[in-house]
Amino acid sequence: MRRATVPAWRVVALLMATATMLALGACSERRASATAEGDPARGKVALTQHACRACHMIPGVTGSQVFVGRPLGDLAESKFIAGSLPNNQENLVKWIRNPKQVDPLTAMPVLGVSETDARDMAAYLLIRR
Amino acid sequence: MFSNRTRLILSTVAATLTLALLAGVLLGAVVLKAGWYDIGATRQHGQLVYTVLEQGMRESVRHHARVVTVPALTAPQQIRRGAAVYRDCCAHCHGGPGFAQSDWGKSMQPVPGPLVDAARRWTAGELYWITRHGIKMSGMPAWEYHLANEDLWAVVAFVQQLPALTPKAYDEITAREADR
Repeated sequence: MRRATVPAWRVVALLMATATMLALGACSERRASATAEGDPARGKVALTQHACRACHMIPGVTGSQVFVGRPLGDLAESKFIAGSLPNNQENLVKWIRNPKQVDPLTAMPVLGVSETDARDMAAYLLIRR
Repeated sequence: MFSNRTRLILSTVAATLTLALLAGVLLGAVVLKAGWYDIGATRQHGQLVYTVLEQGMRESVRHHARVVTVPALTAPQQIRRGAAVYRDCCAHCHGGPGFAQSDWGKSMQPVPGPLVDAARRWTAGELYWITRHGIKMSGMPAWEYHLANEDLWAVVAFVQQLPALTPKAYDEITAREADR
């Protein structure tokens, strides 16, 4: 049986494409974590202490299967928060601290979250993956 | 009878199991007495432990609630009465339309969930059973000795109405029943 030979240029092209994709992936990851201030590890615990997991499913935070609020696993990739705020840490902190100010009709209640806790929670939610 | 070889295999298996059991009990006792387990409520269960415990809870409630006979639960007066009970006994830990639970409800582990989807997770009989008997080791109290039986059913009737209730409607129905 004759083995099909792959032309050298195809191998090189494939390698370069893979390297580019890896580099891009690493870049976007670094960009996400560079913009997030605060302590994501502390934020993860804060998410359990403000009952976030009662309504939202959050990767890495233990709880029930619940769909009262949207799952937050893909929050980092979302363009907008609550459909209107551009997704960045500052706006996420604003939303967590007072969702009714952004959207008076939202079902999400005000939870009495401090600025520090909200920043750390946002860091965990935006850095993840 | 067994051959010598089979007998040897069986006794080896038995001895291994006994030793493993003893080692397990000993290790468990050491961990227990040394206090290494972190009982703090800022340290969560692993998802697997949580899911298994929750599954057990669900099956237990289903099993025990199967004998409950459900009365009519749609009378407006009953629902209003349930609203007042909900406001006084449930809202602190579970929150309600437009508002979150109090700080002690927020930070309980396991966290008391919102009840807006409770009627989709549980039948009326199961909700009654949970309210009446509580859930051991979860923080959910038993209300049997603190509420009249009609009030237990009234709050079940009200919880079934929760998904359709706006914050404004909740304020109205609970304000009207201020002097329960």
